[in-house]
This record gives sequence, structure tokens and C-alpha cells, in this order.
Amino acid sequence: MIVTQATDWFDERLGIAKFTRKSLNKIFPDHWSFMLGEIAMYSFVVLLFTGVFLTLFFVPSSKDVIYNGAYAPLRGTKVSEAFASTLNISFSVRAGLVMRQMHHWAANVFIAAIVVHVCRIFFTGAFRKPREINWIVGTGLLVLAIVNGFLGYSLPDDLISGTGIRIAFSIVLSVPVVGSYLAFLLFGGNFPGDSIIPRFYSLHILIIPALIVGLLTAHLAIMWHQKHTQFKGKGKTDRNVVGVAMWPAYAFQAGGFFFVTAAVIAILGGLVQINPIWLYGQYVPYRVSYAVQPDWYMGWLDGALRLMPSWEIQAFGHMIPNVFFPAVLLPGITFTLLGAWPFIEKKITKDNLEHNLLDNPRDVPWRTSLGVGILAFYVVLFFASSTDVLANSFSLSLNFVLWAFRILLFVVPPIAAYIAYKLAAEASDVPGIGRRKRALIISRSEEGAFSTSESAPRSATHEETVEELPEEVKYHNVLEGTEEYVMPSAVSSVATVINNVSVDVDLGPLPSGGSGVYQIPRSPRGSAPNGRIDEQEGHGDIDE
Amino acid sequence: MSIFKRPAKARRAALLPIAVGTLTVGAAFLAFAPTASYAQSNNPSSLSNYGYTGSYIYGSSGQGNGNNGPITNVNLNPSTIPFGRSLFVENCASCHGNNAEGSSRAPNLQGLGAATIDFWVSTGRMPLADPTVQAVRKPARFSRSETLAIDAYVSSLASGGPAIPNVNLQMANEASGSELFATNCAACHTITGAGDALAAGVYAPSLLSATPTQIAEAIRSGPGNMPRFGSNTLTDQQVADIAKYVTYLQKPVDQGGIALGHVGPVTEGFVGILIGLGLLMLAGLWIGGKAK
Repeated sequence: MIVTQATDWFDERLGIAKFTRKSLNKIFPDHWSFMLGEIAMYSFVVLLFTGVFLTLFFVPSSKDVIYNGAYAPLRGTKVSEAFASTLNISFSVRAGLVMRQMHHWAANVFIAAIVVHVCRIFFTGAFRKPREINWIVGTGLLVLAIVNGFLGYSLPDDLISGTGIRIAFSIVLSVPVVGSYLAFLLFGGNFPGDSIIPRFYSLHILIIPALIVGLLTAHLAIMWHQKHTQFKGKGKTDRNVVGVAMWPAYAFQAGGFFFVTAAVIAILGGLVQINPIWLYGQYVPYRVSYAVQPDWYMGWLDGALRLMPSWEIQAFGHMIPNVFFPAVLLPGITFTLLGAWPFIEKKITKDNLEHNLLDNPRDVPWRTSLGVGILAFYVVLFFASSTDVLANSFSLSLNFVLWAFRILLFVVPPIAAYIAYKLAAEASDVPGIGRRKRALIISRSEEGAFSTSESAPRSATHEETVEELPEEVKYHNVLEGTEEYVMPSAVSSVATVINNVSVDVDLGPLPSGGSGVYQIPRSPRGSAPNGRIDEQEGHGDIDE
Repeated sequence: MSIFKRPAKARRAALLPIAVGTLTVGAAFLAFAPTASYAQSNNPSSLSNYGYTGSYIYGSSGQGNGNNGPITNVNLNPSTIPFGRSLFVENCASCHGNNAEGSSRAPNLQGLGAATIDFWVSTGRMPLADPTVQAVRKPARFSRSETLAIDAYVSSLASGGPAIPNVNLQMANEASGSELFATNCAACHTITGAGDALAAGVYAPSLLSATPTQIAEAIRSGPGNMPRFGSNTLTDQQVADIAKYVTYLQKPVDQGGIALGHVGPVTEGFVGILIGLGLLMLAGLWIGGKAK
């Protein structure tokens, strides 16, 4: 068979059989919250595809042109080439507008998915040893995603995004001592200049996506190497992974989920208008639209800028610009503490053991309540970025709304944290919480009296059995010589020679089919839980 | 491979691409369907035609002196002054005084011009509902001819002030209007004309129901906190251009689909998080399942 010959050819040169076998038999624990990171990854794929399409038509230039395209209300006005080309993408390029809108919606969904993914990791304690490195990589990805979102939002050179760049310039200026040098370096001179759009373009389409792809690869490789975490449950320990195998079950789940993500983004892109720059017009520094907002992921920074009182703080005989505190210091502290959290928690708990089983948030009330409190702080800041829209929509005074948010910013987090603590602490004490409840059967006697009784426990046949992957068992038995090697059907097998024993490794899809729920032992790294060194070496070490 | 004899989880996993494939094709169809209207949008006449049918007509007494310029003044009929006075005395005089001379509760209206009176009355802001807050736009209490009679009465008391402008939108230039609007109006009314809260209970109202005459009246008379733009600041042609662009903004080209209120990223963020991510999390719940 040509497939066998080809796979053999590659295997003899690259030794791919072992990796492929391990990959196809990789075990993925099942839980809906494990899909959150996937939403982010698939949105990123949509971003890459739609982004490539947009680069074919976008002109990253601040050069003035007279717009003479399809959109009549701006025809004859002076606009930049960047703005004109975005109008052309929207009105003249076939499917250009739907691509633009999908790109923008995908960015909004991408960062939202990262945020809920971070929340899941935090509240379940998945960042604990040995996963601190991946937590830091993930924090880096979040920062890069936010920065790239802002850059992309700025590229069309419309009135609203131009206002955002103006604010960004002022924020860079506000950095003490080096601010003015830094701002001139980044923007190639004073604002606005004509280097912003080309520079943002290189960053947005090349440098930052490359960094994101690199970090994402590292993120996935580390996760792959360390194997997944899992929730506590039947047959699940710190030493194994229980779930479905990569092939065929998980491959279908994940592939299907990619299409779901693409579909939701396509529905939004096709039906819901986002960033109609033709209504905003070209950015000109002397023009401003009242109270514009950035995209949602910058909302908390915008809210902080709005809530900051107009204090003039002096230090070393100089005034530190007011903007510095909400727009430089706050994000600096935010991301530093976020990245350092695994180490901060280690200082608090003195817990240096390896954890592969996740915490249920209710079982660690202190961490849960701290997380809820901090999250509430940023949610209040996020809502504060729409003070004007809230005031206008609910016919309130803008000043009242602003002051209400200043107070809520310090009142809501402790209340939210207290409620979260109480709920978590009390929930963890409830007997049988988290288990499936048995049905109550109400029966009526012949005399007409009612009585209730609990239904019988679910029979064991309904439980999915957890067993070792058959391919893995066979593979090891053959290696150890306890099982006779049987040549499987040739189609799906790859031959390899290990330790002078010719082993034909079934790749998994056929004929045994690993589509049930299986467990696989973890490869130990360093000290095992409870300080015990596991005697069983992992599958990766059979060459030694 | 007989996927249907496998455990429920695997069956669900395998059915997923089928269900989703259908969804994707449907979504792609919906997404690409608007291409039909791109052809229209390439046609300038369809984009510059917003459904109005010529200039705003006031009935027999309202027509100005022909179509000489983009803005012509409405000639008020002196014979309606007594009728206007009786309406004024009944509805306005308790605050403004019988001769519109003003009181401790309300300003002197003499010499403010017919445009000022017409704007406040025709937008329903006068008579005032609540004197403690900024006047709100509401359905006008008076018919067009009654309003013009009140205008005629008050403007007969003293000379001065702008006359009621009649805007000929066909002589106006929308592109010039868009630039003038962005420079002079968007700083308060927002770039889409949706309006916004400004400070301490003061707000810039939405322009989405203003008529071209009311837009020109507001520019020339400066109601409330709005600055007055005289003819040295904006020419009649420029006022007409702005009126035309604002009229366009009332029914703009929303090529991208549901407009989300034209308030920018705030509503977009909510849709992205609640609908976009929300749907995907539900799908994740369906695929990933709950803890055992």
C-alpha cells in the first residue's frame, strides 16, 4: 500500500511513528471549561485567515487622497490612503465588508475567550506546580492580544480610532523622565505625523502575530508535554489522565468546535455591523466625536482614565502627569501581579507539591473570593468606560454616574469577595455537593396517601468504564515480552524497530478504536506528589 | 468505521461536524448574501437618495421667495398674528408674560427671531414639561399653522433674530456637510448624531428626528447650551450642507447589518462577549460536557 510505504519512508528517516502513536492516543479529559482556551485558539485561526484577506486590499499609508469611491456621502473629501482603502474594502471589494467585520468580531471574541480561559485556570488552581511557566506564557499572550487588538482597531485611521491613538500618545508621554523620548521614538516624531499607520501596520500584521504564534506554540507544547489537568472524579488521580483519546473522539470534537467558532464569528460578521468607519469619517486632529470608547478589552483602562480624579501629584520637584497612574501604573501592576500569581500563591500556601487534579473553586474559598473581588474591580472599571452612554441611556447626570462609579470601584469588590467567600465556604460543606442527585419518586398508596422515596442508584452499566488504552497496553506488553506480537491489518500500521524488537504499532483508529473513556499514566517530572518518586518511567523513555 | 455503534460521546462528537457544517454553510450564505446590495451601493444615486422628496413644505403660508438659494426665509403671514397672540397668552404667557417680555421664571423672547420660537415650539420642547431639567424633545403641542401663528406673533413684537429657514436639500452638498458636521457638531452630538450626556444633567440631544428646518434653526439660534453659529461662521450653503448630512445620518447606509444604535464599541463589546462568546460557551458545554 502506498500509505504504508510513505509512512515507513518518513518513519525510517524521522522516527515519526512513536510520536504519531503517542499523539493519536493522547488522552483529553472532558469538561466544558477545557474548551474555553480552544475558543481563543480557533478565533485566532479565523483572525489569521480574515487578516490575510484584508492585507491584500489595505494600504497602510497616511498620504492624503481625494476619496472618489462608492460611498457617496464622503465622495470628494480629503482622506488618508488607509481610510480610503478601508472604505473600498467595505464597499467595493467583494465580500470585503464581511471579512472586515468577521476580523473585528473574531478579535473581540478572541480576547473575551482568553479572559474567561484565564479565569478558569485561576479559579481551578491549574497554574500550580508544574504549570507556572505556562501561566506566564499565557499572561504574555493576553497582553499581546490586547495590544494587537488596539493596533488593528487603529489602522483604518477613522475619527474614533484616531482619538484612541491620540490618547495612547499622551499615555506614553506621561511616563516620567523618558516619556517624551519614548513617545517620539514610537510615533516617529510629534503626534500625529505620518509614520503611525505604517508602523502600526508592521506591528499588527507581522511582529505581534509572529510573537503570538510563537508563544501559542510554546503554550500548547508545554501543555502537551505536561499533559492535561483534570477535575477530581471516579478513577482520576494526580498520577493519571482520564478522558477520550485524540483519535477518533477528540479529533472530531475539536474539529467540530473549530467550525462552531468560525460559524458564530461568520454569523456576527455577516449580520451585525461593527465599526462602521464610513459614519465616523477620516481622523483629523482638530475633530473629535464626543465620548468615544475603545474596543471592550481596553474598556477597563478607559474607565480608569475617566475615574481618576484630576490630582496633580508632585515627586522630586516635578509633577507626575495624572494620566500616568491609571494608564501606565495600573496596567503595569495588573499584569505583573497576574504573571507572578503562581509564585505569590506559593508564598502564601507553602505548597510545593505537583498538582494535576484541579481544585473545585468552592473548595478553596480564599482564592475564589480573592479572584472574584479582583475581577469585580476590573468589571467596575470596564463599565466606567461607558459613563456617558449609561448617563444618556438612563437619563442620569454624567457627574452622578462618574461619582457613583468612583464609589462602586471601592465598594463592589469587597462585597463581591465576601459573598463569594460565604457561598464557596458553605457550598463546600454541603454533603454530596457536586454529585448527581438521585430522583425522588412520589408514590400514591391505595388509600390515597402520598409518600416519597429515593430512586435506586444508577446502575454500573450506565457508568463509562475507565480503562487503559488497549493500544498502549498491547504496546507495552509486546515490549515486555508478555504478549505475542500479532501483525495487524496493514492499512493503519506503522512499523518501527525499538530495542531490536520489531514492533508494529497500531495507530489507533482501527481496528480496536479508542473512542471510549480511557486513562493513561502521567510521565513523572521531578518529585511526585507526597514527595514520592514514581518508579514507573513514562512512555517517552523507552529508547534508553 | 461505524461511528453509530460507538458510545454516546463518540457519536455526539462525530455528528457535530455534520450539524456544524450545515450551520457554517448557512452562516456563509447569510454573510455573503449582502453582496447583492453592493451593486446598488456602487450606484451613487441609490446612496444619495434617502427617501426625502424635496424641500420641507409648510403649507400655503410657509413658502419663501422661490428656489433662489439653499436656504430661503419663510414669510410669516401678518394676518395670523391675532391668532398667534391668543395661543401665546393661553399657553406661554404664564411664564413668559403676555408680551413675551419674560419673568423671573422664563426669559424675554422679544427680538430672538422667528427661528428661535419655531425651534422650541415645533420640537415640542415648549411648553416646558419640567422646568428643573433640560427641555426634552416631545410631540409638538401645536399644529404647523398654529406654531407659525405663534412665531408670527412673537417676532412681530420686536425686530431682530433669525427668520425661519426653509432648507432646499437638493442644493446642498452632503460630503461638505459631513466634514462640517465632524468639525462643528460631533464634539457634542457624537459623530453619528446619536447624542450623548455632557455634564451635570446637560446632554446633547439625538438628532435622529430633527427636520432640516429644525437643524438650521438650531444652528442659527443656538438653543440651550448649544453655541449660536451666525452667518459669519457658517454660510447658508454650509448650514444646508449640514442639514443634508444630518438628514442622511437619520437613515444611514448600514451595510454591515444590525446597527446596534450607532453608539460605537460599547454595544459591540456587549454583543461580542454575550452573544459571540456566550454562544461558543454553550457550544463548549454541549461538546465538552459537565464534570462526572
